[in-house]
Amino acid sequence: MIRLLFILLMSVNFIYSDENHDHSHHHDVYVQGEKLEVDQERFKTFLNGLSDSQVAVINVNGMVCDFCARGIERTFARDKTVKKVDVDLERGKVLIAYIKDKEINFEDIKNKILANGQNAIDFTIIKI
Amino acid sequence: MGMTLKILIVTLFFNAVEARPISYSGGHTIMHFSDSMKESLYYHYSPSYKYSFGIENLNDKVFSKSDSYLRFTYLLNRKNKKESQRNLYFQSAFSPNDSNNFYGVHGDWETRRLFVGFGYKKIENIIDYDDKFIQLGIAPYLGNYGDFHTWLMVKTKKNSLNKKQITYPVVKFFKGNALLELGYDKKTDWDIHLMYRF
Repeated sequence: MIRLLFILLMSVNFIYSDENHDHSHHHDVYVQGEKLEVDQERFKTFLNGLSDSQVAVINVNGMVCDFCARGIERTFARDKTVKKVDVDLERGKVLIAYIKDKEINFEDIKNKILANGQNAIDFTIIKI
Repeated sequence: MGMTLKILIVTLFFNAVEARPISYSGGHTIMHFSDSMKESLYYHYSPSYKYSFGIENLNDKVFSKSDSYLRFTYLLNRKNKKESQRNLYFQSAFSPNDSNNFYGVHGDWETRRLFVGFGYKKIENIIDYDDKFIQLGIAPYLGNYGDFHTWLMVKTKKNSLNKKQITYPVVKFFKGNALLELGYDKKTDWDIHLMYRF
């Protein structure tokens, strides 16, 4: 019983520390604890030429085809604070590079993605 | 040069009528559709991802007449999941010059690999009839965003006018904002859908 309690406490401690890690150093877990799971090569290519920026990595539901994701790129490209947009169909993610001073609002992102017919469910910001 | 070929050239890189009846908010779509029963050129605008309205010029090969329709499509239901999307649309059209109209539903479910679609349409014309189809598809490879995408499909359709059910292979290609869908059956010849979004 004591052994079981010990294992349980250790598990809780592990989960807690994972959820509260410092994003500015690791960038591999969302606020909710889900793994970031970006394609490292794709992410590296995306970061090419970018500096003094912040990248929003957004999990999107319903982004199953290239043709239906076209509006996402178009909508965000109109925003003057956006430097670059990338759509990762395989992982259901949208990467948006903003200028460093932009105050990123998830509600605004959600509305823009909904205007294209999909649902943004989570996001994380990586400062570069 | 045949009319079909002219339209094909003018609208080269256009999209499919049944494939995506509503665009993203603020999106414009132009399509050409041709099969053994009709040939149409259709433009629609989507103020929201939930509905679109447009105008269609339709050449009815069965009744040998041409007509213009005002069209309205509404997204009744959509379910977005991490790896799939399901849609149900209501489609309607009426001709201001005539008493012709049609209405129906169209639904689809797709993942990056699989596609299932169906449609039912009631057409009120010189003779009323209905038209229905089921379409199944598989993507032989999973392309990235911006790649050239391919779908291999099979479509079965039937209408109450000629009472024939035909099943035939369809291939769908798209890249960027352009989509082309081709189907062939030796009895009814080619089905051609072209679509372009902007």
